Amino acid sequence: MTCSKLETDIALYAGGDLPCGRIARVEAHLAECADCRALAQELRALQSALRDEPLEDALLAQVHQRVMAQLGGAGFSLRGALAPLLALAAAVILAAVLLWPRHHSGAGSQPAAASHAAQAEVGRGAAAPHGAAPLARKVHHRLRRAPAAQPGPPLLVQFVTDNPDIVVYWLIDQKPQGD
Amino acid sequence: MTAWRREITGDVAAFERIMSQCERRVLRVALRLLNNPQDAQDAAQEVFLRLYKHLGRLDQTRGYEPWLYGVTVNVCRDIGRARRRSVALADVPDPVSAQPDAYHHAERAQQREFIRRGLSCLGEKERAALVLRDVEGLSTEEVAGILGTSENTVRSQISTARLKLRDFTGRMTKKR
Repeated sequence: MTCSKLETDIALYAGGDLPCGRIARVEAHLAECADCRALAQELRALQSALRDEPLEDALLAQVHQRVMAQLGGAGFSLRGALAPLLALAAAVILAAVLLWPRHHSGAGSQPAAASHAAQAEVGRGAAAPHGAAPLARKVHHRLRRAPAAQPGPPLLVQFVTDNPDIVVYWLIDQKPQGD
Repeated sequence: MTAWRREITGDVAAFERIMSQCERRVLRVALRLLNNPQDAQDAAQEVFLRLYKHLGRLDQTRGYEPWLYGVTVNVCRDIGRARRRSVALADVPDPVSAQPDAYHHAERAQQREFIRRGLSCLGEKERAALVLRDVEGLSTEEVAGILGTSENTVRSQISTARLKLRDFTGRMTKKR
């Protein structure tokens, strides 16, 4: 076996990557060939030199700062500003949807029907606005109707977003029925 | 709750701890692959922003290291291709000195410089395989997994890369 044909295996042997079945042949050759022993030694030295690359802490610190600065900025825009705005927009749309049937139909005289209608509209209202939809996870609302001809307590709509710190409450005054 | 889980729920401080654990490795690989500190910093920054974005979707049973190395190699490859510019290498230090320590120091610095230049002469895949195996000390199996290739291919790449690097540094040493 000539040296040139074994070079590849010697390069693997020097790095500990040669499959077991080929090690004996390489070791036998190295035992009798000074040039190839020198090659193996050079390759080992090169391998340790490859790891001997100092890494400046300043470079590392700069990367760290740049990444954290970007994440800090992103965190502010998403959580600090965008989410409340989206929640507010969703609440306004929700309220508009809730109030709309009361002025345009006689359905208000039937509380149960109105409640169902409102519930259906709430579902649609939370999903419809573009941008607000991902935040709107669930909507709770309580409808309390006072007896006819008496002003009832305000309608309370609780709008829960994905952010547990943001809950939007919407109070709607109710006019007496039958006016 | 693990640092992973806390990060997934939006804990930037937990992400920072994860980054602190692996930023040295990422920057070291990027430096070896790109041979330019600015490019390496840009690459490392991109890698960590991607890590932040994808952390919740990573397979935690495998750990994040294979993913991290894979992304580092890909990002470095993209940056290297996009910025096909002549790498501004520092001047090779002059080893001439009367002090034995200084001589030794300069000799090591010179060898580092030869290695940097030699690495930049290798093909992309050979360089990536060599850096992951010989600089990072990963097994050929791990390198194959990260690079999406077979162990035989990795062995072929690292043996070729080692021999090329040895020839290059040998030629440079003789020149001087």
